Amino acid sequence: MRFPVRLRFILAAGLSLLAPLALLRAGLDDKNPGVPTTDSPGPAIPAHFDLPSEFDVSESYVGSADVRRDSRSHSLDEENSEVRFVLTPRISTGYLRLGVEWERYSFGFPENAPLPNTLQNINLVLGLDAKFSDSILFRLEAQPGLYGTFFNHITSGDFNVPIVLGGTYLYSPDLQIIAGAVVDVNSKYPVFPGLGVRWKLASKLVLDAVLPTPRLEYELTKATTLYAGAELKEGNFRTDRHFGDNHRDPSLNHAVVTFSEVRVGVGLTQRLSNSLTLSAEGGCQPYREFDFYRADARYRSDGVAPYGQISLHGAF
Amino acid sequence: MPPHLQLLPPGRSDDHFDTTGERGEWFLLRPPPNLPPVPRAFLILFLVLTAALCAQAADPLAELGAFSVFQNANLDKLKSEVTTARGPAMTDGRHLSVQSCYVVPVPPAKALEALQQWDASRHRELKIYVHGDLPGSPTPASFSKLGSAPDNAAVATLAEKTQKGSHDLQISNGEKPLLPAGPGGKGPLPDPVQSFWSNVLSGRAQNFVANGAARQPGYEFTGQEVKSGDELASLLRQQDKIRKQFAGFLGDNGVSGGRGSLKKDLYFELIDVDDEGVLTLGSFSSKAVGSGFQAADVTYYASGGYYAGLTLYQMWPVEVGGQASTLVWRGDMISAASLATLHGMEKLASESAMMKDISKAVRLLKGDMATGR
Repeated sequence: MRFPVRLRFILAAGLSLLAPLALLRAGLDDKNPGVPTTDSPGPAIPAHFDLPSEFDVSESYVGSADVRRDSRSHSLDEENSEVRFVLTPRISTGYLRLGVEWERYSFGFPENAPLPNTLQNINLVLGLDAKFSDSILFRLEAQPGLYGTFFNHITSGDFNVPIVLGGTYLYSPDLQIIAGAVVDVNSKYPVFPGLGVRWKLASKLVLDAVLPTPRLEYELTKATTLYAGAELKEGNFRTDRHFGDNHRDPSLNHAVVTFSEVRVGVGLTQRLSNSLTLSAEGGCQPYREFDFYRADARYRSDGVAPYGQISLHGAF
Repeated sequence: MPPHLQLLPPGRSDDHFDTTGERGEWFLLRPPPNLPPVPRAFLILFLVLTAALCAQAADPLAELGAFSVFQNANLDKLKSEVTTARGPAMTDGRHLSVQSCYVVPVPPAKALEALQQWDASRHRELKIYVHGDLPGSPTPASFSKLGSAPDNAAVATLAEKTQKGSHDLQISNGEKPLLPAGPGGKGPLPDPVQSFWSNVLSGRAQNFVANGAARQPGYEFTGQEVKSGDELASLLRQQDKIRKQFAGFLGDNGVSGGRGSLKKDLYFELIDVDDEGVLTLGSFSSKAVGSGFQAADVTYYASGGYYAGLTLYQMWPVEVGGQASTLVWRGDMISAASLATLHGMEKLASESAMMKDISKAVRLLKGDMATGR
């Protein structure tokens, strides 16, 4: 083989850029796919699947902290669960992305708090990874589904189709420049662009400055990576028809609420096998917001909360 | 099919047919003398079609289009640029293939000679740290060039893993007892490390000379045995057109079972795979086909990073701009566990990186040919 062999070409590919609800973390978590571990039994040959697939399961808990609107303050804690499964068959133009996803935020509020105690979405993943040239790759992904609270009375308003478009310019194996945009008609900013960079600073040090999970990573071993960084999570959900009535504010009936939060922390990813990666991280959540922007009602964090998260990524 | 057009089974004679070819081959040679008009018309049509197919086969671009991904190649463009494309889809996730196509301004014999003699290790950007040619019967002493390994992080990683007996090393249970007993020694590849690899590589090279790639020892330490011969066979099995195009040649060069009858140029290399030093064993062989050549560069052993690799070449004589030239098709195939877990964008990026690297290697080769290096 008279050419360099570069196989572990892992990149965020721009497609996670500003992705709502961190839908695209699958690619980011896969830092060292297939690399045999030094401390565990060697690399087993992966099972042969005619239809490649990947999944993510994660669970996190955010401790108690206040959110405030004017003089009103409410303390809450949070559980966040996420499950995602995507098939990635190859076609002539690239790789399809066909899957499903479910994510749920569950908040612990006092009874009188005028905020939904559950936000969740269940949606399809319909996308394509392809390339314009050897240096420019792109992803177009639609996430049609229901974005609401309890789904007791599903209406057309609960249905939404966020679209993610991202591109990566492969400047070199060590440097990629990423650009993308999220299109979401329910968002305060229906089109939200962004830029990022992934730069391998040294053989074990990578700056992965790509939203929603900008990080600095250090490869402790081939199987273990330490990282420090942030995670930006955001989503738009529709409250139910009587939510405002029940909370003495009719303007919040069937209203769109944009939930966003920022987490800052450190974590560790451990490759369990060629196919499975376990991650654990902890830190603090300095920012959180419930924004009923159309009703001009906004609750912002008033304090910092601790959080912990564990997640499992599989690729077959 | 009418009886008079049936092909003869091996060894069978028939009044209507003349089997002057080697016994056992299936030949249709001569029409029977008393054909009625309609069958004769069929036969003429058949012969015309056969002639047309032969004429197409004689056209390099048509032949290229028939088995490769390059359907509309342009010789003038290929003279100045290297065209690369990903190969056909393969169902096995750990396989990747890239095809490339280019023209060099020398006849096929010279193009082949230049390819055989090219020393890629002269180009630092290709990260081939050591290249050594091996004799027909390699011994541990044949790997003495390992002593000239550069002092860099990739080589240091290989040395460290060897001294620690890392599970990353693709060695069989039979080779494990040869591992050096802990750290010690000086230089980028300390003597105990060099000695270990010289023994492992010479044993595997001898095995290849005697039995071909199919009988290489597996990496039994993985729990699931990995055999480079199986990987090579799998790479070819999933590319039907290429396998058919090279069917006769591959049987002769030791890739697909047996030692093969072709002369093989054996070599070893110390290369960089994802920032780690990896030792490989390879074999280069070629065969005249028509007025051109077929060639294969087989990596039948790698100490880590990937399981096996295969680069096939087809060369045709062409004339470009009034100059005798060679149209070269190159197919690169690789099998690596790390590829199996890449999806979508990541896999596209790996393909792109491989295509860029191959383009770069070909451009360097063409540059060296132009300057006579």
